[in-house]
Amino acid sequence: MKRRPRLRPTPWDGVTAALILALAVGCGALFRGGAPEGGTAVVSIAGEEVDRFSLADAGEREYTANGYHLHVTVTDGSVRVTEADCPTQDCVHTGAITRSGQSIVCLPGRFILRLEGGSSDNTGVDAVLG
Amino acid sequence: MRTRELTVCGLLTAVALALSYLENLFPLAVAIPIPGVKLGLANIVTVFVLYAMGADRAFLVLAARCLLGAMFAGNMNALLFSLLGGFSAMAVMSVLSRLRGLSVYGVSMGGAAAHSCGQIAAALLSLGSLAPLYYLPVLLVVSLFTGALTGLVSACLFKGLGHVNLKVTEAD
Repeated sequence: MKRRPRLRPTPWDGVTAALILALAVGCGALFRGGAPEGGTAVVSIAGEEVDRFSLADAGEREYTANGYHLHVTVTDGSVRVTEADCPTQDCVHTGAITRSGQSIVCLPGRFILRLEGGSSDNTGVDAVLG
Repeated sequence: MRTRELTVCGLLTAVALALSYLENLFPLAVAIPIPGVKLGLANIVTVFVLYAMGADRAFLVLAARCLLGAMFAGNMNALLFSLLGGFSAMAVMSVLSRLRGLSVYGVSMGGAAAHSCGQIAAALLSLGSLAPLYYLPVLLVVSLFTGALTGLVSACLFKGLGHVNLKVTEAD
């Protein structure tokens, strides 16, 4: 043994735990979700924004991210990844998100679905034709 | 490095790889659906090497584990995550283990929390977005529990090894 470890918990371990908890609460306060009505969902794949839609537009959407297929369902102000063929399935397990600031991430697909505040009508674009 | 140390390092790398495979059997991610939630059993090996053989050996075992793990998984994208997570954890634990007041529990919890921060940093880099920061608070809270658990296992390990005459380094 290079150094003898202490094997029984000490008060300083409690201090360490408290510091980590404080960091968690601090980060939570900084990054927590905003208003319940997250108006717009923004989809980006590999850092590029590929889609933007309002949560009022209920329906089904399909995305291909890094070779994986993600099936996204929008219902009544919430959005979830209902099906994906990625190996980790974290995106499916995340379930529905509703608040702005929340996101669903698929790491293998480098896919992010993030909710932004306000409605998608604020983008200044009335219609895109083509 | 003497033959004995080299052999022990190789053995411990194998143990770490087996442990990181084993923790797939505990699907923590189903209970807490966030990417990156896991028990961190391989961290027990880092804690052990850090105390038993020092930071330089811990560095070698960790690097070998990350490289081989990513090769076996056939996923080089995961290498960034395990490298940043693993080395953040090791750096923090290497400092914390020098503090006299802390036991293996505090060191393990600090390491687990640093691992979460490292993985979030890897996610930020890989995705090019700030969205993964949203997961950090939950990951930190989870790391308190997983860190305490691996701390308990490490404490039992050191306690058990106290009864056997194990020679890890030439100095022992």
